Amino acid sequence: MMRTGKILRVAPGYNPNSSSLGVDVAFLLFGSIAVTTLTLVVGSAVRLWRRTPSSRRDGV
Amino acid sequence: MASDPPRFRYERFGGIVALSRPRSVAYLDREYARSIGFHDHPRWRGSAALGDGPLSAPTEVHLVLSRRCSAGCTGCYVGATPDGPALSEIDARAAIDRLAEMGVFHVALGGGEAVDLPYLLDVARHARRRGLVPNLTTSGLPVSDMFAREAAAVFGQINVSVDGLGAEYSRARGYDGFARAERALQLLRARTPHVGVNCVVSRDNADRLGPVVAWARSLRLSEVELLRFKPTGRGAGIFADRDLTPRQARLIYPRALWLGLRHHIRVKLDCSFAPMIFAWRPSRRVADFLGVLGCAGGDVLASIMPDGQWIGCSFGGPSEGHFRDPSVWERGFGAFRDFTTHAPEPCASCEYLALCRGGCRVVAAAAAGDWWQPDPGCPRVQRWKATHPKEPIGSSGPPPNHKLPVVA
Ligand SMILES: C[S@@+](CC[C@H](N)C(=O)[O-])C[C@H]1O[C@@H](n2cnc3c(N)ncnc32)[C@H](O)[C@@H]1O
Ligand code: SF4
Repeated sequence: MMRTGKILRVAPGYNPNSSSLGVDVAFLLFGSIAVTTLTLVVGSAVRLWRRTPSSRRDGV
Repeated sequence: MASDPPRFRYERFGGIVALSRPRSVAYLDREYARSIGFHDHPRWRGSAALGDGPLSAPTEVHLVLSRRCSAGCTGCYVGATPDGPALSEIDARAAIDRLAEMGVFHVALGGGEAVDLPYLLDVARHARRRGLVPNLTTSGLPVSDMFAREAAAVFGQINVSVDGLGAEYSRARGYDGFARAERALQLLRARTPHVGVNCVVSRDNADRLGPVVAWARSLRLSEVELLRFKPTGRGAGIFADRDLTPRQARLIYPRALWLGLRHHIRVKLDCSFAPMIFAWRPSRRVADFLGVLGCAGGDVLASIMPDGQWIGCSFGGPSEGHFRDPSVWERGFGAFRDFTTHAPEPCASCEYLALCRGGCRVVAAAAAGDWWQPDPGCPRVQRWKATHPKEPIGSSGPPPNHKLPVVA
């Protein structure tokens, strides 16, 4: 099925210090390749999740 | 650890989903949210642009469980002491409940030395039960094998603070704790791959980060997070000696890149380094997509202190109100949220302002004596000062009736 809409931002990883938003600098280096890869990977994970019936509960 | 189900929160622009596989927080626009089965929501009124206002809640919160610690690090920004105040277990659990109601995704448990608190693991498990991912920063000094086993089962990521190897550790922290920190890392790494190092970068170690990154890699750790030295708590008195030189500040981004590539390990820079990243003019689109933000206090992140007060960032800012008061998020945090709309030069004309947000407010307050000034460590700000010697750098000025920030 064709997806519409956009993934606007992906912040990878968990951050043990919330006072400091850690950014993995390598992603910045890879620029558009990082954007495309993260969009694909995160998009598939989100779609997979929404396909399972138990995920149909609405968000906060 | 089994992966947690994703969680979704509605936002003005669409929504945010937090995933545990891959570990990430993704911002979706309204169309995307609709296309995966979410319905129109009261928050979907007005502007749908991502940067047009703060989030409905932070994505991550730093719960500063205590100002209690017996290590006595020379530059501790918390100013932790052996008998410093701590949240009670009841309050810590209530704070977690409040964060769960707000839809916060991640909570970083810290202090002080959180591992010394007898209730730490119970509070972390409570966070898991309420759907939050708890993460932890520790000095490692009190970490035992039993703690490592239990912590590995509950925390998403655990970082141990190591600002240098051997004698450099002692120089940075003021005591010889390197062997204990290394042992803690080994114990934790034996139980989980999600273990890393926090390294505070100061004038003393900025040119010698390679050995720390190589050593972290040799322990098979997952990341090294580089934190800029902040002038808060015990750090305030020694900031002038520890602040990076302009050259070190300019080089921190390429150095971090190089070290990550050379040693095949994730190297992260904290948000206060944003001006130093933007000085290299990365693509704005890519930086925005990756959430490379400067001061995101009172927006993407915030802190709750041991007295139960919200604060935009644990490094500083005014107390905004108690976590039990549900109105605080909506009405507070002007000291963090208002900089961009009033930004003085050279921030006002900077193409990265919307992302950088004027750099670190806490550094500006301490080093420039004015919370509302641009971050004096920013290379662009330094160039501007050099080319406009007669013009005092402007202040964005506090909005009327604004409480003065308290830098603890
Ligand atoms: C205050 S400590 C609390 C957790 C634990 N006791 C520890 O030392 O890791 C949290 C993090 O802040 C870092 N830190 C301490 N003082 C700092 C300062 N003045 N500027 C920046 N980071 C600092 C520590 O190295 C640690 O990684
Ligand atoms: S930095 Fe951490 S270990 Fe050091 S005194 Fe502060 S709370 Fe304790």
